[in-house]
Amino acid sequence: MLPLSLLNAAQNKPMLVELKNGETFNGHLVNCDNFMNITLREVYQTNPEGDRFWKLKECYIRGSTIKYLRVPDTLLDAVKEEQNKAREAGRSARGSHVSGSGGRGRPAVQRGRGAIRGGPGRGGRGRGRGA
Amino acid sequence: MDSLIPFTTSGSLVDCVDRKMMVVLRDGRKLIGVLRSYDQFANLVLEDTVERIYHADVFAERWQGLYLIRGENVVLLGEIDLDQEDDVPLRQVEWNTLEPYHKEDIAAKKHREEYKANVLYEQRGFCKEGGEGDGY
Repeated sequence: MLPLSLLNAAQNKPMLVELKNGETFNGHLVNCDNFMNITLREVYQTNPEGDRFWKLKECYIRGSTIKYLRVPDTLLDAVKEEQNKAREAGRSARGSHVSGSGGRGRPAVQRGRGAIRGGPGRGGRGRGRGA
Repeated sequence: MDSLIPFTTSGSLVDCVDRKMMVVLRDGRKLIGVLRSYDQFANLVLEDTVERIYHADVFAERWQGLYLIRGENVVLLGEIDLDQEDDVPLRQVEWNTLEPYHKEDIAAKKHREEYKANVLYEQRGFCKEGGEGDGY
């Protein structure tokens, strides 16, 4: 799923935002938009050196100032789960009208969490396009 | 035939998805993780990410988790060859042991770059980058 969709799915979750200047903001995501502008609540702000702290009830961060966001690791799994549920729900709603073998109902190939590609690529190197 | 490869498909990161990648950020950080997704800005989602620091012939790692990296901060992505990744001639140590040396390296580099920028400015009329300078 797209990075910004992951961000949208992270609403109400805790996260760490590091800005380009090195400041960090720890808080819960309230909302975000396509520019990566975000609003956080219950925020702990830290300066780049890591020796000064502020507590903010809410803050708004302009997307263009963000370096990266760290989100809970469980988020990716949670989002995939929700997507699957939504897909199943949509399918069963449509399935009742469509007759037939239901071939289209075959679920898409699931990539298990932690699955890393590299086998075919590794084996094929030197034997693929080169020859 | 090989020379036509760059023109046969549009440049994209699709071949890098679900692979272990090293990402270098503009602030000099090196993050290693599994690339899970990207978009038109090359914003990245990196799973099971580890931050790695190097000094002399030694390195250290710190687990960081799930990252959403804003594309403009990325210098480069490199695929990690799972077969060869343990063959490096470097020893691994504890993060807390290596961190002070790493910080020293960064400070020294920053000092050198500032001095260089100053000389270029004074003697050759180059512009100073100010706070925009990159750390890599």
